[in-house]
Amino acid sequence: MAMIEKGVPPSRFGRAVARRSGTGTRISRSDLVDESLSAVLARPMRAALTALGTVLGIATLVVTIGIAATAGNRIVGRFDELTATAVSITPETTRASPDDPPLIGWDAPERITRLNGAVAAVALAESQPGQTPPVQANDIKDPSAVTARTLGVVAATVDLPATVHGRVVAGRFYDAGNVARRDRVAVLGEEAARLLGVTRLEDGPAVFIGGEPFTVVGVIGDLKREQALAASVIVPPTAAADRLGMRQVTRVVVDTRLGAAQLIARQAPTALAPGHTDGLRVLAPPNLERARGAVEDDVNGMFLVLGLLCLVVGAVGIANVTLVGVMQRIGEIGLRRALGASRRHIAAQFLVESAVLGLLGGVVGATAGMVTVVGVCVAKDWTPVLDLGLVFAAPLAGVAVGLLAGAYPAWRAARLEPLEALRAT
Amino acid sequence: MTALIEFTDVGRMFEADPPVHALRGVTLRIDRGEYVAVTGPSGSGKSTLLGLLGLLDRPTSGTYRFAGAETTTLAERDRAALRAGSFGFVFQAFHLLPYRSTEENVMLAEVYRPKGRPAPPRRGRRERALAALERVGLGHRAGFRPDRLSGGERQRVAIARALLGDPDLLLCDEPTGNLDGENTQVVLDVLEELNGQGLTLLVITHDEAVAERAGRRIRIADGRVVAGGPEPVDNPSPVDHQFAGDRPQWP
Ligand SMILES: Nc1ncnc2c1ncn2[C@@H]1O[C@H](COP(=O)(O)OP(=O)(O)OP(=O)(O)O)[C@@H](O)[C@H]1O
Ligand SMILES: [Mg+2]
Repeated sequence: MAMIEKGVPPSRFGRAVARRSGTGTRISRSDLVDESLSAVLARPMRAALTALGTVLGIATLVVTIGIAATAGNRIVGRFDELTATAVSITPETTRASPDDPPLIGWDAPERITRLNGAVAAVALAESQPGQTPPVQANDIKDPSAVTARTLGVVAATVDLPATVHGRVVAGRFYDAGNVARRDRVAVLGEEAARLLGVTRLEDGPAVFIGGEPFTVVGVIGDLKREQALAASVIVPPTAAADRLGMRQVTRVVVDTRLGAAQLIARQAPTALAPGHTDGLRVLAPPNLERARGAVEDDVNGMFLVLGLLCLVVGAVGIANVTLVGVMQRIGEIGLRRALGASRRHIAAQFLVESAVLGLLGGVVGATAGMVTVVGVCVAKDWTPVLDLGLVFAAPLAGVAVGLLAGAYPAWRAARLEPLEALRAT
Repeated sequence: MTALIEFTDVGRMFEADPPVHALRGVTLRIDRGEYVAVTGPSGSGKSTLLGLLGLLDRPTSGTYRFAGAETTTLAERDRAALRAGSFGFVFQAFHLLPYRSTEENVMLAEVYRPKGRPAPPRRGRRERALAALERVGLGHRAGFRPDRLSGGERQRVAIARALLGDPDLLLCDEPTGNLDGENTQVVLDVLEELNGQGLTLLVITHDEAVAERAGRRIRIADGRVVAGGPEPVDNPSPVDHQFAGDRPQWP
């Protein structure tokens, strides 16, 4: 009588022979997917609830990564966009003789706006402290009248409102025609207008700058940068040169696109004064990238951890439900074994089932995340940056979560002895 | 007659304290085309015997030749292939998947196929399942969920599933155990018809009326064959081997 130990492993040789001759049973891939899918879809509500944790985890990750990619520079923009987009260029040395051609000409705005990343630029000639011509509302020398001792006089090209993000609150800003005709016109800063008592423009009030009359055509206010101009009288460069002797550009202010300030700062000198770049001093905002990066990394890190935590919770949920499913379906497992399923086939079925749940969570989570990112972008008027890699990686991450979660239940299911499993009802 | 099953001195012992000898020294031969009933009191080892016959379990002693080939030395994968290719199982509890329709339950029998043989094409599986349902008189119940069927109908679905693999042997453990008299008759008629078509049948039952329909009755008690074994009789009509008093082990 031969004694056969239960579960004696066949010899290595025997196993190798069995492999080579292709014995055992097989299940086609489509059958495996069919069997697993129909088991999951048999209880759609349970499947949905099971996948919920994964949905939340994947959605959190997609939103965090998506917003980080989209927002990038925008976060800083909220607080100091105006600083981050301003570049100013000053000729460092005054020329040896006033007859030498100036370093920067009045065509500076055209030269600058040709650069990629520059939005607007204005060339200014500012009166030197102590040499400011007196400004008066009328030519009567009345000592009691308000004379604007503090008012500055500035010659500026017509691009000034656009560059300083100012608003013309009354009248208009002088135009290229005024400049070409060398008209004696002036635009008052809001504060200057108040100090000079200019309230109405209908009857063409005049101001006297260094005794020369200029017609006030507009008032500018709400200056977002170069706020000192609010207390200044702004005149076209031609009239300033003719009447006030202000000929040389003392400063060029550039409004750049967000993130382009460093680039403009590097290129502007060459654009303005090719060959004489040494004579120019450039003022650019500090490079905030690094400091901002650190702060963002902290915030993003927190959300990433939160998302990963959600994924772990999701995985535990899938593992739990799949394990309960294994226990409820012991009879089914026994039947499948009786029909010829191997342990491997049983394990594969439960693995695919949990992978399907993970995939479901991944797809729904990625979709919810994308919708959120797009929604935030629409609300904030940002351009959404949807990384295609992220779109495909998210469902794959869901599948990985599902496989990981299904490993233990699948192992438990495969370990069952067919007869024991059939006995359980 | 060619022997399909040859059991020689088979024993099955379960590790327990004290060890349970569910079967001991069972020698048995079943030929192709036979209709065998196995009876015996509860706990006598009938289900254990069916598990060994169907390669769902391994004996702890003895040898088991199926269709002339020794099975006790086979690797698990080859035993699975035999289960898929040569055996059909019918259980008392039906073991139908509640979330699949009747024909889908039947189609399950073709999902796991032995590697060596050409597998029936996936296309046409539904038609074959419907044909199997016809064979057990359930063609009109295709598309039903199992919970909408009567007990007898459920068991006939299980029989159709067992038939789909075209088995050499149909093993039934208390197939009528959950059924009332009328449903029992329907199921027994189906089994008898299948045996008439040449299918080898082994039915475990408590019910003497069920056992009477078989061509041979094997009685086991306390893990031993006490009547009906080991050889088929020459005249395979219901014979009365009733306990001849040779083994008075039960009251
Ligand atoms: N896994 C096991 N471990 C220990 N003992 C077992 C195991 N399986 C079965 N037995 C014992 O083996 C004996 C035979 O069990 P079996 O299920 O074969 O009986 P049976 O004849 O089918 O009974 P019934 O008619 O009630 O179904 C019983 O005493 C049972 O308790
Ligand atoms: Mg039993």
